[in-house]
Amino acid sequence: MDVLTITLNPALDREIIVENFTVNSFHRVKNPSYSKMDPGGKGINVSVILSGIGVKSVAMGFLGGNIGKVVEEKLRATSDLITTAFVHLEEETREDIAIVDPLQDTITEINSSGPSVKQDDLRMLIRRLDVTLSRVKHVVISGSIPRGVEKEIYSVICRKVIEAGKLSYAEAIGPAFEIAVDSGLVSVARPDLRSRSILFGQSLVELQDHVDAAKYIVSRGTRLAVLSYAIEGDVIATTDGVWLYKTKSHIERSHLLGTGDAFMAGLVYSMMQDDRDLQLAAKRGMAAAIAEAAFISKELVTIKNIEDNMDQFEIHRLE
Amino acid sequence: MKVREAMIRDVSAIFEDETIEDFIVSCLRQAKTGLPVVDEDFRVVGFISESDIIRGALPSYFSLLQSASFIPDTHQFVLRLERIKDERVSEHMIKPATCVKQDDTVIYAADLLIKHNLKILPVVNDNGQLLGIVNRIFLIHAATQGKIDR
Repeated sequence: MDVLTITLNPALDREIIVENFTVNSFHRVKNPSYSKMDPGGKGINVSVILSGIGVKSVAMGFLGGNIGKVVEEKLRATSDLITTAFVHLEEETREDIAIVDPLQDTITEINSSGPSVKQDDLRMLIRRLDVTLSRVKHVVISGSIPRGVEKEIYSVICRKVIEAGKLSYAEAIGPAFEIAVDSGLVSVARPDLRSRSILFGQSLVELQDHVDAAKYIVSRGTRLAVLSYAIEGDVIATTDGVWLYKTKSHIERSHLLGTGDAFMAGLVYSMMQDDRDLQLAAKRGMAAAIAEAAFISKELVTIKNIEDNMDQFEIHRLE
Repeated sequence: MKVREAMIRDVSAIFEDETIEDFIVSCLRQAKTGLPVVDEDFRVVGFISESDIIRGALPSYFSLLQSASFIPDTHQFVLRLERIKDERVSEHMIKPATCVKQDDTVIYAADLLIKHNLKILPVVNDNGQLLGIVNRIFLIHAATQGKIDR
């Protein structure tokens, strides 16, 4: 086993396709393929994408109730390369429902709030993490934190990873992520700027804002910082400099689903081959994200897709 | 058919020094009847099931009796159950656990399940570390589909 992914707040992603959807009326789903259920949550997504490129991973985190069982079973059914190691909670895992109307071009979303985590649940997770760390080299922790968990959790986990001599990869936004980065505990940091672009109290609007934020992250001890800029670009920073990666072709906003997780998976895959070549890791991440963007639905990128897209972006040195 | 084709890649387990209450809560939430017991190196050192808890709460001479109707006082049994909830898993687990490896045949796993009257078998690597489990219903299903000899 090479990779451990940690998802503290997974979800069951449900997509229901209803033509001419209106509120306050009765609808029937036309055929079974119009109602889909997929395991969701950023760490879980990375495990799924890694399985597509032949990488074994352990998926860990919190699941609860019947929805949690569905997430776990669907995840295991995805690939033999994914091993599950979740701590089960008393309350139900959250469910993100999207009603898609292809005729009216609308998406109606209903997201549940998710379970709360008790002290005993957290104790059990940390204990299992301690033991699992000896069996992996790369640890990805991504996504939001559930109710009942302190914002220091990212630091607690990343400290254990670093002290065990392993590499920590974090993708999230908010105080939990920032504290871990500030404490120099994140080897590879990718702020999740989809929902809000405020990082360390600064609003990221212009390219320079992103460059400054990336440099700050590296100054705290992170080896590689990746910040998505606009739709088609990523600002990459290491101790050697700052670069802008920009796709050669236009990418539709609607195709962005899953590209961040594909970036992380491509990056981890590259670090497994050579963890000193950070530029190559960022390039493979970018290539995986571009490959993922070419798919409308949640298809899995392959190693060939990554290699084929290695020249589909331009690299400009900024600093 | 090999165990690797039939196993469930889930490494839910309980540690030797965790409590019986931890075990019960884990089983309840996952709808399981037993869990592999692991040490700090994730090696399987035992197996604990709901039957082991019931056995732990019964008087030691119970195995000599033919019927539960001979239990003198069910209330005592319930009180004992309340007491053992804080005891360690290691005090009630069966050790060593009966395990299989990924390259064992499914027919061998089925043989172990029947002979030892087990519901779940941990699957381990050459170091004895937990990789997953095989369970009875999956093997029964594989047999009914005619897959077990392949």
